[in-house]
Amino acid sequence: MNKILLTLLLTSPLAWAEQDHANMNDHSHEGHLHDTMVDGKNLDVSAERFDTFMEGLTDVNVAIVSVKGMVCDFCARGIEKTFTRDKNVQKIDVDLDSGKVMIAYSKIKEINFKEIEKQILSNGQNMSDLQVLEVNNNE
Amino acid sequence: MGIHKIIILAFILVLHTEARPISYSGGTTVMYQSDSMSNSVYIHYSPTYKYSIGIENVDDKFFNKNKNYLRLTYLINRKNTDISQRNLYFQSGVLVDDADGFFYGIHGDWETRRWFSGFGYKDIKSSFGQDYADQYIRLGVAPYVGDYGDLHTWVMIKTKKNSLTNTKSTYPELKFFKGAALINFGYSNKTEWDFHFMYRF
Repeated sequence: MNKILLTLLLTSPLAWAEQDHANMNDHSHEGHLHDTMVDGKNLDVSAERFDTFMEGLTDVNVAIVSVKGMVCDFCARGIEKTFTRDKNVQKIDVDLDSGKVMIAYSKIKEINFKEIEKQILSNGQNMSDLQVLEVNNNE
Repeated sequence: MGIHKIIILAFILVLHTEARPISYSGGTTVMYQSDSMSNSVYIHYSPTYKYSIGIENVDDKFFNKNKNYLRLTYLINRKNTDISQRNLYFQSGVLVDDADGFFYGIHGDWETRRWFSGFGYKDIKSSFGQDYADQYIRLGVAPYVGDYGDLHTWVMIKTKKNSLTNTKSTYPELKFFKGAALINFGYSNKTEWDFHFMYRF
């Protein structure tokens, strides 16, 4: 797998708070992607799932959305359909088990908390948190 | 509690609620249902997550009639948590060619990825004076919890009562769910087979 440089841009439900984050070169991906972010929050995403998600993707911003009420495949399918209508969405992964949705956006797309919250609500679920990762792949 | 009181209570609950889809917004659903009373094909569309509109063709075995209903289902209340979802719906339908024939009722459910419970009550008015009510309660458990896209299986028990035939039956059901398709069937020695198929586009 390509070496991945991750700069974490962090968003909270209340405000955008961008912060440079640690270089992820040679970072162990066993267990979780990254145990703790700079603000002390846990980034609770399975490393294996994240690696699989990132396969074939280069230079994207990844939104990791925590969703309430996502209990079945119809919920997941609705969320997938809602986000894939956006031409800037390159890939989406819905994890029912953790209640997380990973969305890979083209770099030209500015990830907006309110917009994603509205899209989740349009499908009938509620967003409880959003974290954004800027991913730059080095060959 | 009478059905009118229940419906009034349901509308009061709207004032306190957040909402969620019937299907997802822009979703179209096709359903086929068959039991001892009727066979029906129902197609509905959800412009938003709050309601769906559709048409249902019912082959009524009891009255030996074929009927077409225009239907509206409205999400009265939804509560989302990290692990569960609870819904309360208002359902209604009116015959295309006879406004004296209509139905209304409520149904609701609460589910996690492991557990399910649901209920429904429907009051059916016919233009020829044979009014009746249909009601059910359903409880279920998923023997395993699959990921998105897997085959999901539910083992359920359903109790239903029909005031027209004055029958009440309790029987087991199996539900299989994969991708956009759902199949649900049960068998009772009183009411025989109960079959439901759904596909969502």
